[in-house]
Amino acid sequence: MKNNVYTLFYAGVLGTVCSLLLTAAASFTKPYQQANAEAEKNRNILGVLHVPYPAESSSQELVKIYKDNVRQEQKGELKMYRYVPPKDSGNEETVAVGFEGPGLWGPVKGFLALDKDMRTIRGVTFYEQEETPGLGGEIAASWFQEQFVGKSIVDQAGNPGIIISSSEGQAPNKVDAISGATMTCDKVQAMLNEAIKSIVEEKQ
Amino acid sequence: MADNKQMVCMTCEPKGLCGGKGLLTLKEGAWANNPLAIQVLGICSALAVTNRLENSLVMGAALIFVCVGSNLLVSLLRKVTPYRFRMIAEVAIIATFVILFDQFLKAFYWDMSKQLGPYVGLIITNCIVMGRAEAFALQNPPVLSMVDGLANGLGYAVVLAIIGFFRELLGAGEILGREVPGFSSWYTPNQLMILAPGAFFALGIVIGIFNWIKGPEPEEKK
Repeated sequence: MKNNVYTLFYAGVLGTVCSLLLTAAASFTKPYQQANAEAEKNRNILGVLHVPYPAESSSQELVKIYKDNVRQEQKGELKMYRYVPPKDSGNEETVAVGFEGPGLWGPVKGFLALDKDMRTIRGVTFYEQEETPGLGGEIAASWFQEQFVGKSIVDQAGNPGIIISSSEGQAPNKVDAISGATMTCDKVQAMLNEAIKSIVEEKQ
Repeated sequence: MADNKQMVCMTCEPKGLCGGKGLLTLKEGAWANNPLAIQVLGICSALAVTNRLENSLVMGAALIFVCVGSNLLVSLLRKVTPYRFRMIAEVAIIATFVILFDQFLKAFYWDMSKQLGPYVGLIITNCIVMGRAEAFALQNPPVLSMVDGLANGLGYAVVLAIIGFFRELLGAGEILGREVPGFSSWYTPNQLMILAPGAFFALGIVIGIFNWIKGPEPEEKK
């Protein structure tokens, strides 16, 4: 009996000490972690909008650059991030829209950036994805994302939609798929087209 | 024979067979009884995070930190811990250190934390850490236990670094994300080395070479 009481007492003390330690650590690092998460999102938006920023920027600097350059707008259901560059910078006005959907293994989230005409793609980025490394995970690679630059979100007849396919032939709204990652490509195509649909609807 | 010696070390240390001999403990953990190459423990993380040298180094550092910390605490508490409660206590202590490291990474090395993903948290289940707490720290004084934690952490980290080095070199043609002069220009990266099979090949080869160098006989000099 005495033994049980001691064990319970020991468990209580050890548990309390451990949880106090962890609470202290968590509350100490919380502001840094939040800044990191915020900066991560900002970095992606800045990147896809082609806002120039120094590569070595700290989290705080990124948040500031983001605030100075990017305006958030709400058009109906659509949340847009607009970059209006200073007149002498030579950069073009760009609008980004977030998109998300299920990937093969987990949620995929990203941003689609468009020119001022809301038709031509300026860039695509994925800031959250858990696709198979080396296969579906290649959607995060620059060679895949760079394909989108300059493509149109409507086909020659004006119907909205982008095609990610490994079939032959060129089209203004088609990019090459990743070999061995058909599932991921199909799902990414679906979520992009959903975003594109709402962009086109919102513009009309 | 090496194993026999190790067993003796662990169980009858209080009688003074090799008590207090830090150097021997260090050698046992890091070389003669290397947790990865000889005992083949903790290979889950060794396979998962070694696609880049940088990841491997951080993971190795994490394991050293956790192993040293948990061994020290378990050893300090070894005389007051109720015997039947010891495993729960060990897990609680290990988990505390792992979460501390994870929080630290998330706050100050965000990119690294993103790349390692769940594998830092999974150190809690790494058999090396609990194995050392249970097999060594429970029977040995604090300082020697820290040496043992350091030795095993180092043993793990070095093997991880070797695997990470070759997987990144052959799989991406780079080292620490930088091009290697005279190599990256002509080498075509072999994607297989980045994927899971490459990890198995690399680990198998490293374990093989390790055992080949060590030989069937234990080192008798010390």
